[in-house]
Amino acid sequence: MAPSAAPVLEVHDVVKTYGGIHALNGVSLELLPGEVHCLAGENGSGKSTLIKIISGVEKPDSGTVVINGRTHRHLTTGDAIRSGIQVIYQDFSLFPNLSAAENIAMLSELADRRRISSRSRIRAAARRVVEDLGLRLDLDADVADLTVADRQLIAICRALVNDAKVLIMDEPTTALTHTEVERLFTIVRRLQERGVAVMFVSHKLDEVLEISQRVTVLRNGAQVASGAAADHTPRTIAKAMTGREVSDERLVGEVPPDAPVLLELDRLGRAGGFSDVSFALRAGEILGITGLLGSGRSEIAEAIFGIHPADSGTIRVAGTERRIRSIRDAVHAGIGYVPEDRLTQGLFLDVSIADNMIAASLDSYRARGGLLDRRRVRDSIADLFRRLRIQAPNVGAMVRSLSGGNAQRVVLAKWLDRKPAVLVLNGPTVGVDIGSKEEIIAILREQAAAGMGVIIISDDIPELVTACHRILIVHEGRVVSELTGDEVDAHEIQRRMAA
Amino acid sequence: MSGRLSRLRGPNNEGLLVAVILVVVVAMALSSPAFFTAGTFFALVRSSMVPLIFALGVLMVLISGGIDVSFPAIAIFAAYSTVKWVIGAGADPGPWVIIAIAMLVGAVLGLVNGVVIARFRLPTLIVTLGTQSIFKGVLISYIGSVYISAADLPDSVNALAGSHLLDVSGGGYLHFMIVPVVVVAVLVALLLSRTIFGRSIYAIGGDTEAARRVGIDVVRTQVWLYVLVGALAAFGGMLYVILGRNANPQSIVGTELDIIAAVVLGGASIFGGRGSVLGTVLGVVLVQLINNNLVLLGIPSTWQRAAVGILLLLGVGAQALGARRPNGHSVDVEPPLEREEVAA
Amino acid sequence: MSEQRNALRDVNSRVEAGWSAVLERVHVAHGVGRMALLLVLTFTFFAVQRPGVFLNPVNLTNMGIAAPEIGLLSLAVMIAMLTGGIDLSVVAMANGTAITVSSLYTAVGDAQGQAAAEGWAPLIVLVGVLVGVLLGAFNGFLVSVVGITPILATLGTMQLYNGLALVWTGGVTISGAPSALRSMGGTAVAGIPVLTIILVLCAVLLAVVINRTPIGRKVQLQGANPVAARYSGISPRSTLMMTYVISGLLSAVAGLLFLSRNPSASADYGSSYVLLVIVIVVLGGTNPAGGFATVLGVLLATLTLQVVASGFSALRLSAYEYAIAQGVILIGVMVLDQVRFRRRPLRRRPGMQDRPVPTPAEK
Repeated sequence: MAPSAAPVLEVHDVVKTYGGIHALNGVSLELLPGEVHCLAGENGSGKSTLIKIISGVEKPDSGTVVINGRTHRHLTTGDAIRSGIQVIYQDFSLFPNLSAAENIAMLSELADRRRISSRSRIRAAARRVVEDLGLRLDLDADVADLTVADRQLIAICRALVNDAKVLIMDEPTTALTHTEVERLFTIVRRLQERGVAVMFVSHKLDEVLEISQRVTVLRNGAQVASGAAADHTPRTIAKAMTGREVSDERLVGEVPPDAPVLLELDRLGRAGGFSDVSFALRAGEILGITGLLGSGRSEIAEAIFGIHPADSGTIRVAGTERRIRSIRDAVHAGIGYVPEDRLTQGLFLDVSIADNMIAASLDSYRARGGLLDRRRVRDSIADLFRRLRIQAPNVGAMVRSLSGGNAQRVVLAKWLDRKPAVLVLNGPTVGVDIGSKEEIIAILREQAAAGMGVIIISDDIPELVTACHRILIVHEGRVVSELTGDEVDAHEIQRRMAA
Repeated sequence: MSGRLSRLRGPNNEGLLVAVILVVVVAMALSSPAFFTAGTFFALVRSSMVPLIFALGVLMVLISGGIDVSFPAIAIFAAYSTVKWVIGAGADPGPWVIIAIAMLVGAVLGLVNGVVIARFRLPTLIVTLGTQSIFKGVLISYIGSVYISAADLPDSVNALAGSHLLDVSGGGYLHFMIVPVVVVAVLVALLLSRTIFGRSIYAIGGDTEAARRVGIDVVRTQVWLYVLVGALAAFGGMLYVILGRNANPQSIVGTELDIIAAVVLGGASIFGGRGSVLGTVLGVVLVQLINNNLVLLGIPSTWQRAAVGILLLLGVGAQALGARRPNGHSVDVEPPLEREEVAA
Repeated sequence: MSEQRNALRDVNSRVEAGWSAVLERVHVAHGVGRMALLLVLTFTFFAVQRPGVFLNPVNLTNMGIAAPEIGLLSLAVMIAMLTGGIDLSVVAMANGTAITVSSLYTAVGDAQGQAAAEGWAPLIVLVGVLVGVLLGAFNGFLVSVVGITPILATLGTMQLYNGLALVWTGGVTISGAPSALRSMGGTAVAGIPVLTIILVLCAVLLAVVINRTPIGRKVQLQGANPVAARYSGISPRSTLMMTYVISGLLSAVAGLLFLSRNPSASADYGSSYVLLVIVIVVLGGTNPAGGFATVLGVLLATLTLQVVASGFSALRLSAYEYAIAQGVILIGVMVLDQVRFRRRPLRRRPGMQDRPVPTPAEK
C-alpha cells in the first residue's frame, strides 16, 4: 500500500451527550495512512467515547465519521470492521476458551460469512499474520494460558488478519513490562511501514511522545490541544490534560530519629518473586519502592499484605514478629493495603460510600448484643467524608458514580477508619486525575505526620520524589539501591533503575 | 507428571470420566457375573437415549454461558400436543412426520426462550424457570391432561416403538431409535466443532462482550441456539413417548436437574465456553450405569439418587480443587472463590 | 511471577466484566415498593372478583398457614443469593429435618411409649434443627473450603440429601410428629396463625442479622464484590460458611412447619418448591449476582404469590393455571425492569441500540 496524503479516517465535529452531560463536545481529528496518532486525556475525558463512536458502537449526536473518503451517518460496528477499523481494547476482548489461532482467525471467518469452520484454514490464516509480523506464538494454546503480552500480540494479529487500515489501541502499555513495551513499539513501527494508521490511546506521556507523530488531547470532552508530537513535551501535554501546571517540588519533612520502627522486614523472600528484602519503616515515614514492572516491587507489597505470602524471612510489626499467611493475618497485624486495581480489589462499586468506608473495620463497631453501633458508624463516616474532602452529594451515593480521584479517597478512607500502623499503597494515583493526585499525596503526608508508616509502590517517579522520605529501587527481585534525603532525585532514580 | 496426567484427562476431563466408568464397570462385573451380558448393555443404551438427547441441548446452552431448565417442559409439551393432535385428526402421517411436527412445536417454544433471553438480556436460569412453568401450565390447562396409552397411540408410532436394530436371542435387543440418536449426537458434535455457528456459541460463552466486538451477532446466535435446543428437546420428548409407548403430560418435567448434573459431570463448564459432546455422552452413560446397575454392587436401588449426588460432588469438587492450580503454577493465583463470580 | 500477576489481573478483569455485566442487566433495585404495589393490586383484584370466597376468614387463615414454609425457604435462598450464590438444597434440607423429627419421634414412641416421646419432643426438635444446620454447614464447606460454585455444590447436595432421605425412608411417607408441633399448625394468636408469627419472627431476626451486625454486612459485601471483600480482610470462608449455615437453619425451621401442617414426612415433599422459591426470591428484588436483597421484598413476594395461588383457587382455576401466572409474573417483571433500565441513557451499554447491529455474519 503506497502512502498517500488522503486521510484514512476523519472525525468531524463530533458531539455526544449522555443525560445532558457532554461526553464529547465538537471533537475533530484525522488519521493518515502510516501515521501514529496519539489520543491523550485523563480518565473521563472522552477518549473511550470517541473510540466507541469511531468503531460504530455508539452513535454521535451530531458530527460525522469519514472512512476512506466515505461519510458515515449511521456507522455500525459491522461497517467499521468492513471499512478496516479495528479496535484493540484494554482487555483485548479475546476468547479465553479458544485457541490462539481461532481467536486470530475468527474475525475473518465471520467477515467472509463462512458457515463451516475449517481448522486448517484457520491455522493457515493465523500463521500467515503471525509470520508476517515476525512473531513467535503458540497458535494451539488456549488464550487463557498465555501471558498478557502474548495476548496483546494475538489481539494485534486478529486486528490485522482482515487487512486493518486503522488500528486503535486503547491503553496498550498498561500491563506490559519495559521490554514488552519495546517489542510492542517495534511492531507498531512495522505496521506503520505498511501504511496502517495507528491511533494510540494513552496517558503515559513519555511513551506517547516516543511513538507518535501527532497528538490530540481531550479534556472534559473538549479538544484542548492537537498537533505534531514534535511540538510537545510531557509538560505541555500534562498541562493540556489537566489544565494547569503540575508541580514536582519535593515536600518532605524530617522523620524524627527516635520515631519507633513500625514495620521491619528481615531477609524476606518469595520463590520466583523477590529475595532477601530487608528494611525498616519508622512511624511518620513515607517510603517509596520502585522498579520496572516485573522487578518484584508489587510482589513485595503483596507479601507484606499476605496476598501472596512470603516463604522466607520475617516480618515484624511494631516490634512483634508476625506470621502473615493471609490478608486477614496482615489486617490483624495492623497493615492496610490500597491495591493497584482499585475497581476490582479496592471498592464495592454498587455499594454506598458509607458502607465502603467501614468495610475493613466492621468488627470494631460491634456493640452489645453483637449489633453494629450505628451512632459510632455514622460519626466515623461523616468524619472521614469531611476529612478526605470526598466530592459526592452524600455518603449514600454509590461509589460507581465517583471519579477516579474520589473513588481512591474512599479506598483510603476504608483503611484510615481501621487505623493501621502501616499503610501500603500500590500505584495510589494510577488513573487518578492530576488534581486529585496532589490531594491524595497530601492526605498521606498528614497521616504520616500523625504517626502512620506509609509505603508507596509506584513507577511514577515524580510522584515518589514529591512524597517520599526514602526510596528503594528493586531490580530482579532484590533491593539494589536506597536513596535518602538529597539523593532523592528523578534523574538519579532513573539512572539507577536503568543500571 | 502433571503434564502427562492433564493430557490423559483430556480437555474436559473426558479421560478421567472414561477411567471412572471403567472402574465402575469392573467393580460391577466383579461383583456380578450377570453384568457382562448383552441385556445389560442394551438396557444401558436404551435408558441413556432420552437423557442423552436432553443433555445435548443442555450442553449447547451451557457452552453459550446459560442454563436451561425449561427443556423437559418443551419436550413433553411438543410431544404430547403433537401426538394428541394427530390422534384427534384421525390421521397417521407416519412417525417421522410426527417427530418433525413435534420438533417444529419445540422450535417455536425455544424461540420464546431465545427471544426473551437474547432481546432483553435476562439471566437464562430465571427466564427458563418462568417459561417452564408457563409451558407446563399451558399444556395441562389448555391442551390436555389425559394419559394417552399405547392403545391410543398412532399405529406407526407403536410400530416404531417395537422395531429393533439388533436382537440377541434371550439377551434383549438394541432399539432402532439408537440410530437417530447417534446421528443427532454426531450432528451436534459437528455443529459445535465445525461450524461458525458452533464456534460462535463457544465464543459467546467465553466472553459475550468480546463476541459482540468481533462482529458476532449475539442476539441472532442466541435465538437460533434456543430454537435448536427447543427442537432437540421435542425430539427427546417424542423419543420418550416412543420408547415408553405412552404420552403422559405429567412426565419428564422434574428431571432437569438430573440432566444438568450429567452434563456438568461430563466436563461442561457452568461458566460457559467449555464442554464437549464426548464428555456429555460419557456423563450420561455414567449416571445411567449407576442408576441401572447399582444393585449389582450390592447397594440397594434407593441409593441411586444419593450416589449420583455424591458422584456429582466428587466431579465438581475435583474440578474446583484443580482450578486452584491452573496450568501447574504452584501458587494459588486465584482462589476459586473469585472465579465463581465470573458466571453467577 | 509476572505471569501470575497477569493471570490475576486477567481474572480480576473477567470478574469485573462478568460481574458488572450481570449487575447492569438485572439490578432490580426497587423490589420492596414494586412488590408492595403488586401485592395490593393482586389482593384487591381477587377481593373484588370473589369477595365471598377470597375474603372469607378461612381462606385468609389458610394463606397465613400455607405461606410461612415457602417464605422461610425463600429467605434461605435469599441469603445465599445475597453472597452471589444460590442454594438449591433448601427443600432437601427441610425434608431432612422433618424426616429426622418424625422418625425419631416414632422410634422413641415405639420404644418407650407415646408419653415418653412427647417428653423428649423438645430434644427431638432440637436434633432435627441440628440436622438442618449440619446439612447447611456441609454446603458451606463445599462452597467455601473446597471452592465449588454454589449452584453446582447445592445441586449435588440437593441430590445427595434427597437421596439419603430416600434411603432412610425407603421412599415411603412416614408419619408422626410431636403433638406440640401438630397443634402449632392450627393455633392462632389474636387471629394470626402461629406459623405466620414464626415466619415474621424469623424474617425480622434475619433482617437484623443482615443489616445490623458485622457478619451480615460482610455477607452483603462478599456478594457485592468478593475480591474487594477479601482485600478488606473479610474472610470469605467464614462469611460463606455462616451464609450456608443460616440457610440450613431457616430450611430446618421450614421443615418443622412442614410437620406442623401435616404430621408426615417424605423425601419427595415440596419437590416443586425449589423453582417456586427462586421465583419468589428474584421477584422480591434480590440481585441474582449478589450484593443486594431485602427481607421485606422477599416476604412481600411470598405473600403475593400466595395471594395469587388462593385467588386462583377462589376463581376455580387450577394449580397449572397458577403455574402459568408464576411464570408470566416472573418474566413480566424482569422484562419491565429491563425496559425501564434501558431508557436510562447513562447506563446504555455498547450494542444496545434500538436497532440490532447488522454484522458481517448476517446476510
